[in-house]
Amino acid sequence: MSTVTTYRPSTLADLRDAMAESARAGERLAVAGAGTAVEWGGAPEHDAVLDTTAMSGLISYNPTDMTVAVQAGMPLRSLQETLAGNAQWVALDPALAAAGATVGGLVATADAGPVRHTFGASRDSVIGVTVVLADATVARSGGHVIKNVAGYDLAKLFHGSLGTLGVLAEVVLRLHPRPSATATLAVPCHAAAAFDLGGRLIHGSLEPVAVEWCGRVLLARFDGTAGGVEDRGRRAMALAGDGAEWLPGDDERAAAHWAAVADLVRGAEGDTVVRLGTAPDRTPSLAALVAREAAAHDVDAAMTSSPFAGAHTVRLRGGTASQHAAVVTALRAAAPAATVCRWTPGLRDQLPAWGEPPPAVAVLRAVKRAFDPNDRLGKGRFAPWF
Amino acid sequence: MSWSAELVEALGRENVITDPARLRTYECDGLTGYRVQPAMVVLPRSAGEVAAAVRVCARHGVPFVARGAGTGLSGGALPVADGIVISLQRLRRIMEVDPVNLRAVVEPGVTNLDISKAAAPYGLYYAPDPSSQQVCTIGGNVAENSGGAHCLKYGFTVNHVLAAEVVLADGTVTRLGGESPQLPGYDLLGAFIGSEGTLGIVTQVTVRLLAKPAAIRTMVADFATVAGAGDAVTGIIAAGIVPAAVEMLDNLAIQAVAASTESVYTPDTAAALVVELDGPPDDVAEQFDEVQEICRRNGSTKIMVAADAEHRALIWRGRKAAFAAVGRISPNYFVQDGVVPRGRLAEVLGRIAAMADDAGIRVANVFHAGDGNLHPLVLYSEGEGQHDRAEHLSTQIAELCVELGGSLSGEHGIGADKACSMPRMFGQDDLATMLRLRSAFDPDGLCNPGKVFPTPRLCGERPGPYRPHPLEEAGVIERL
Ligand SMILES: Cc1cc2nc3c(=O)[nH]c(=O)nc-3n(C[C@H](O)[C@H](O)[C@H](O)COP(=O)(O)OP(=O)(O)OC[C@H]3O[C@@H](n4cnc5c(N)ncnc54)[C@H](O)[C@@H]3O)c2cc1C
Repeated sequence: MSTVTTYRPSTLADLRDAMAESARAGERLAVAGAGTAVEWGGAPEHDAVLDTTAMSGLISYNPTDMTVAVQAGMPLRSLQETLAGNAQWVALDPALAAAGATVGGLVATADAGPVRHTFGASRDSVIGVTVVLADATVARSGGHVIKNVAGYDLAKLFHGSLGTLGVLAEVVLRLHPRPSATATLAVPCHAAAAFDLGGRLIHGSLEPVAVEWCGRVLLARFDGTAGGVEDRGRRAMALAGDGAEWLPGDDERAAAHWAAVADLVRGAEGDTVVRLGTAPDRTPSLAALVAREAAAHDVDAAMTSSPFAGAHTVRLRGGTASQHAAVVTALRAAAPAATVCRWTPGLRDQLPAWGEPPPAVAVLRAVKRAFDPNDRLGKGRFAPWF
Repeated sequence: MSWSAELVEALGRENVITDPARLRTYECDGLTGYRVQPAMVVLPRSAGEVAAAVRVCARHGVPFVARGAGTGLSGGALPVADGIVISLQRLRRIMEVDPVNLRAVVEPGVTNLDISKAAAPYGLYYAPDPSSQQVCTIGGNVAENSGGAHCLKYGFTVNHVLAAEVVLADGTVTRLGGESPQLPGYDLLGAFIGSEGTLGIVTQVTVRLLAKPAAIRTMVADFATVAGAGDAVTGIIAAGIVPAAVEMLDNLAIQAVAASTESVYTPDTAAALVVELDGPPDDVAEQFDEVQEICRRNGSTKIMVAADAEHRALIWRGRKAAFAAVGRISPNYFVQDGVVPRGRLAEVLGRIAAMADDAGIRVANVFHAGDGNLHPLVLYSEGEGQHDRAEHLSTQIAELCVELGGSLSGEHGIGADKACSMPRMFGQDDLATMLRLRSAFDPDGLCNPGKVFPTPRLCGERPGPYRPHPLEEAGVIERL
């Protein structure tokens, strides 16, 4: 086994120099943050690793403007702790944050959690980036203001780039106020009933900040003022009917429900975890498919969905790699936009890293060529697409 | 065959304009000081025809510029001489409104407001609301990443578009985005939105729809100083309140409104804030009280609460008519679109006032205070030879915004107008990196060339004065 060089810059200048050195050496480079998403998609071939975790500083924080600039290696969790002091937060709750995921890593993986329902994914909170390209070019786009249309938005391009276009060095984020009150509606029900009730909460203008269906329970979180949340609680309970529970923010059961969602998404050693996107109303049929395929192939499957974002995660546990492969193949047929985020040992030998390519794959390839013509960064991450 | 003959053959004679008199309609957008006559305008009726036209252009190296309603304020739809304009006005079908999946699929020529109208029977609406929404098209909104008064709470076009069908510069048709925002790969859709028509032509858009809020409360708070109003905005934001809209008018703007329409604004106040909250009734009621308290604490001299929907509409009519109204108190004006960090609003307004005094030029302010997006209107008289001084002041203001940590443009785009100021905000490497993206989409540079990025040819020329958009003069649209 050859030894792998590791670069661990702590400043933008260090990062640029490391990139220049690596470019001179013609190395294939894997970019890594906290390593919580190393397995996503293909496994990159690499001679060296660029580790961003030493770039973890706060660059500037202006609570009055509700914006913050950080080095990309800062864990989201620590950033949220800092912001909590001013009753502010980045409106992002990805499961991997608890595992130490970095801000840059979350952008590069296009990650999001249940509040995606209201606030979108990391792309929707990022207002500026500084990136370092494979040839050590340092480029900036966006800025420090929440409204800005000057120039192309490179942050979007890097959203979901999985370390294949360049390294995110600095990220500027818009912040939201922490609500003064929060509560969760929990309703045990099957997927079709969950989709129906979720729709009624939304159409009834009750404005849930998150709607999730996990472990056969519909979870809807409501944020707002104390009086407002209480009032909506009454109305939501009336809509939900028997079996529904209203859990105030500090209730342990509410926390446990949401922790279960994150736990499922993270998965554990030996699991296979797949993320999928579908139209919202396909949530019930996807849930049925997951149950059917899991039974047919004798694996234990669990699913969590943000139905109205059409974002789902399926976790497979138990069984063999080939049993997992059969289920993943069926999932890919149902939703080509699938990302395998965790591979049970042996699964990679049975399946290509990605399923059917998206319609714009030719543009994805062209963008990759324009940013990294020598294919140095994350080589093979998007194989067989490019 | 010549390219023009090929276009006629592909689209039919009746869908092609070459008559110079008819071409004149297309020689500028809302930035009327810049005018270029295109060689031809084509009016395709389907995505297939758009693609066919682009393929002809690609084969012959003919530059093309997409055009929606032509309300853009940065010269984004300015034609290229010897090139063609592709008008999307005939692609205006609403393909689908899907209340279950909370989305609509529309052609690019559909107006922003018509989407909300189509969604209204289901209690839904399309959130981004540029004040040109009665006429501007969703295709233009996608190209400009347009905002509106309510984007403080709800975000911009980019936060509300799920997918787009796009004709690329080589004439191939592709789809960006998808059924769900959870998609693998680079966010090409996000990069495309706001690219000002330089990465391809949108032929179909899937937008998200939101449920209408249960309650809306609106107030106008007067202030004895502009700084006081600015501080109140800072106070509201700092209190953790996210209003649907926070708009500011200064005295000159209020006077202009009063001179032109039935005005609900206090004529002699130094500044007024329009604050609107929406959402669940109890949350709104609680925060509405808090906002009033914050305004009073910051020296508000009078607070008027909209009594009903009609009264609210009157407040908004005045606010939205402010631009057009300013046109009535000054023969000419430039409009800027710079953004500053919200905490520096009072400071920037003070500095603009001082700069205006020094230049002996009046500046009216009507703008999206909640997100720091200024719209200073630099008033001048071409006849009195003030053009150069006004233009200089206008550029100084935009650059001041960048100097204060902000941006050249919050929503109107860079276009042809501000391309030459881009080096103030971005370094050479930043711009070169953005151009890599462009080259990936459009290697031959045929798609809306000469926009966004500075070129020596462009930056050597000097624009003429701002003139109101014809639709604005006709009172069809209002300027924000
Ligand atoms: C009175 C007034 C008020 C305004 N208020 C606001 C406001 O509140 N907020 C705001 O953000 N803007 C505002 N604007 C600016 C303008 O209305 C927006 O930029 C709008 O999105 C432009 O739409 P349009 O259809 O007129 O596009 P056009 O002006 O025709 O074109 C704008 C740009 O989009 C490109 N384009 C058009 N259609 C397509 C397509 N199908 N595919 C690809 N590219 C395309 C063009 O090439 C051009 O670069 C205002 C303008 C006026 C005149």
